[in-house]
This record gives sequence, C-alpha cells and structure tokens, in this order.
Amino acid sequence: MFDFFISTLTIAGIYGLMALGLNLQAGVAGLLNFGHIAFAGIGAYATGIAVQAGWSPLAGAAIGMLAAMLLGWCIARLGRQLGADYWGIATLAIAEILRTIATNEDWLTGGANGISGIASLFDGLGRPWSALAFLALVLGAVAAFALLARRLANGRFGRALRLMREEPQLAVCMGYDLRQLKSHAIMTGAAVTALGGSLYAHYMSFAGPDYMVASETFLLWTMLMIGGLGNTAGVLVGVVLVQAAYALVPFAKDYFHFSSDLAGALRLGLIGAILLGCLLWRNQGLVPEKLRKMP
Amino acid sequence: MTGAPTSAFLDIRAVAKSFGGNQVLEDVSVQIAPGEIVGLLGPNGSGKSTLLNIVTGFTPADAGTVHFDGQRIDGVAAHRIVRTGMARTFQLPSMPTKMSVMEVAMAAATAHHGVFDTLLGTAGARATERLARDKAERLLHELLLTPVRDLPAAAISGGQKKLLGIVCALMAEPRMLLLDEPTAGVHPNLRRDIVAALQRLNAQGMTLVIVEHDMHFIRDVCTRCVVLDRGHIVASCRPDELSSNERVLQAYLGTAGTQPLATESA
Repeated sequence: MFDFFISTLTIAGIYGLMALGLNLQAGVAGLLNFGHIAFAGIGAYATGIAVQAGWSPLAGAAIGMLAAMLLGWCIARLGRQLGADYWGIATLAIAEILRTIATNEDWLTGGANGISGIASLFDGLGRPWSALAFLALVLGAVAAFALLARRLANGRFGRALRLMREEPQLAVCMGYDLRQLKSHAIMTGAAVTALGGSLYAHYMSFAGPDYMVASETFLLWTMLMIGGLGNTAGVLVGVVLVQAAYALVPFAKDYFHFSSDLAGALRLGLIGAILLGCLLWRNQGLVPEKLRKMP
Repeated sequence: MTGAPTSAFLDIRAVAKSFGGNQVLEDVSVQIAPGEIVGLLGPNGSGKSTLLNIVTGFTPADAGTVHFDGQRIDGVAAHRIVRTGMARTFQLPSMPTKMSVMEVAMAAATAHHGVFDTLLGTAGARATERLARDKAERLLHELLLTPVRDLPAAAISGGQKKLLGIVCALMAEPRMLLLDEPTAGVHPNLRRDIVAALQRLNAQGMTLVIVEHDMHFIRDVCTRCVVLDRGHIVASCRPDELSSNERVLQAYLGTAGTQPLATESA
C-alpha cells in the first residue's frame, strides 16, 4: 500500500513536470502543441542511450533536454506559414514520426523492445529509502519548476507570451518577434518535459516507443483542461486529480470485484467524465487563470 | 521616382497595392518632414488604412519604396519597423481578456533584461520592471486611464481601448506615430484630451500621421492634409484649403462623371 502510494505520487510528479512544460506552451503562449509527448520520449531515450554508453545520469538528462530543445526549435520554425490549428496537427504528426523511428531503428533505440536495464538512481539506499529519495528528487524538481514557471509567466516574457496568445497583432505592434517568442516558449517547455521523460526512464528502468503514444499528450492536455490552462497551481491540481482517478480505480476494482477489462474502461470513462464535467460547468478549469494584479 | 531617398523623414514613393484585382493604391508618393502633423483623409475605401499597413510593415506593397529616416523599410518585418522608432495604433483596437490594462501597457515597455534575470529575480530585472511600471503608470495617467488600470483590457470601452492603444505606442518612445482614427467613437470631452495629448507630443518633437474623418479634429490638429481617393493622392494642402479644393470636394461629394461614393467599398 505504502509502495503503491509512493509510486503514484512519483508518477504524478513526473507528469507534473511534463504538464508544466505543456502549460508554458499551450496555457501561457496559446500554442496548440499536440505532439508534446515527443519531448518526454526524447528525454527518456537520451537517458537510456547515454546510460547504456556508460555516461552519468546527469549527462543523459542534459543531452535529452538539449535534444528536445533542438526539436522544439525545429517545430517552432516549421509553423511559419501554418495557421495555429494546422500547426497543431503538424506537431501531432512529428511526434508520430518520431515514435515510428523509435520503433524501427533497432540499432539506436532497441526497436519495439526499447532500452531496458536503465539504472535507477538511488538503488544503493535500500528498499523504502531508494523510492523515497527518488520521490523527493521528483517533487523537488516539480516545486522548483513550478516556482520558475510562475515567475516566468508573470514577468516580461510571460506578458509577451500572453499578449501573443490573445492579441498577436498588438504584440507585433509593440515590437515583439512572434516567431522568436514562439520558439523560446516551446524550447523552455521542451526542456522541462525532457527532464520528466528522463526521470521516467530511470524510474521504470526502461525507455520504449510506448512512451510516445499520442494518448499521452492528450492525457497531459486533459490535466491542463481540468486544472486550468495558464495557471501553474491549476495545472498541478489537474495532475493530482487525474492521477488520483487513475489510482483509485484498482481499489474500486477489488472492492466491487470488476474484471480487469472493465477497470481499464472505467479508468478512461472516469477521466472522460471529469473532463466533460469541467468543460460544461468550469470551462476555465478548476483553478482558472486570474488577472494578474500589478502593484 | 524610386531613386535615392530625399531628406524627408518618411518618404513613400510610387507605392502600389492590389487585392485580388482590386487596385487599392496606385503610384502613391508622400513625403513627410520631421515635426509635421499630417492628416490622411479620404472617403471609405480610398486606401488610407492600406497605406498605413504598408508603411508599418503589416501588408507588403506590390511596388514602390518606403524610407524612414533614411532607412529603407519596405519589406522589413513589422516588429523590426517598430524598433526603428515608428509606432502605430489601430482603428478598432482589440485587447486581451486575461490581462489588465496596466499589464498591457507594461508589455509594451522596451527595456530589456535577460530570462535568467527574471528567473532569479535579480536587481537588474527588478529595476527594469520598476521603470516599465513607472512609465506605464505615468502614461495611463496622462491619457486618463488610471481609474481602469486593474480592469481586464478587453472590458474597457471602445474609446478607452483607443487611448490604451496610444499608451502602448508611446511606451516605446517612438519618433513617429501613425494613428488610425484616434477619435472615432470617442466622447467629445475625451476627444479634447486626445487633441491636447497629441499636440503635447508633437511639441516634444514627435511626427504624427493621423487617419481621420472628423474635420474639426483635422483643423484643430493637423499642419497639412493629404487626401486619397480611390488609391490616388488627389491633394496635399493646409487644412483650411480643403474646402476650396475642387478635387477634394469631388472625392468626397462625387460629381457628374465620377463614380458616386456609395458604390465604393474597401
């Protein structure tokens, strides 16, 4: 039970990092990124490949973050001639292309079998402590990034991004280069998300193409929609709620004696119901973005 | 015609533009000297806004050149033109819903600090924030927006949005300001304040180009008028000469042999 709780919290924290990254792009800058999970996948694979090559986990994470930022830069440039919605579809396509590459390039990614045996970080500490230390690392990273993300969103950069989201023409009138703003927002979000992916690879001791399925991106979007797009606290609320819904289903299954199939369906149904409820009654999310008070 | 730029501050030469076969501007040349307040007039669909959009880089011209302070700016991206010291406002400004009036004004501040300064909250970052805040505060006060500073920018009235547009333009301390109908739909009292503000700015050395329909405003403010009709410059004269200018009357009232106004559309 205790292990389950720790593991749920750890996974929630990792999703929290990815959701914070997506929020900077989608919530603050208004960019419809539907291929966000590719950044996490890159982080996970970079960690797997680097650690296999005998490099330190820190180097793996750094390479993952840099590679994700490079991909983010390319994706941001790609949208030059595309409308916002078409750009969103392009991001989805890019994530799918990367997943296909990961599935097929055995020499680099281990193909469909992925890369297994990635060392977890605190094995030396023994049974409960290694998991707790990892949880502390993840939550520390979430707390740090949540603080930084809030600072960034409230500051000059965030003001420019929010203006671009709502009134791009006015932003241009103020001398902002929208393409540059876009690429900076995507690269920052990509780096945070790649760190999440890297931590996930260490936690599961595995990196595989399943990490990059499109439904993962939409799960992150669901967290944002439920919690509140554009609000850092809201994003974390959304992550916790969705993770809690996921974690509760196994208990309900034991209690009511469901079959596993039904439990899986119930899980998705529950998330769908929460999302639908939010869209109908709280379409700004549970913790909506507020007007920022200027002193 | 398209030779070396003259000494004019803003030098528009032989600009042409058509939208899908509709020739909106044809061989338009306008020179504006530093310190002028030029009223850009013309009936609806005469190409005023298109000319403004071409000068500020929002619409590419089909032909012709634009020089600003000796620098060629046609073909330059709009955000770069702003940085050379030319600001503009919109006829119907639309403002964000999730940002306060004060925040929008502060977003227009040009002082920079790096991202890491923001993240670490350094003294440098705090100083530029303070500068931006003070400047925004002062301009909002000058244009009578202090009472609404904490409201969502989308929630203020149309006239106030125009004022906020002017505040945003002024935050960058431009040398030239292009205004698209700054007083249309604005309360007469507020109109007086806008006139006063524009004259003050001009006295401080700012060159102004104003698209306007209100003749009183033109007479009160402008030092020269340029009149467009169906994509051509038909007059460039002092405001008091407008009423005696045959071609201006023709453009506005329509006479036998010319197309009546009612059939024109932008």
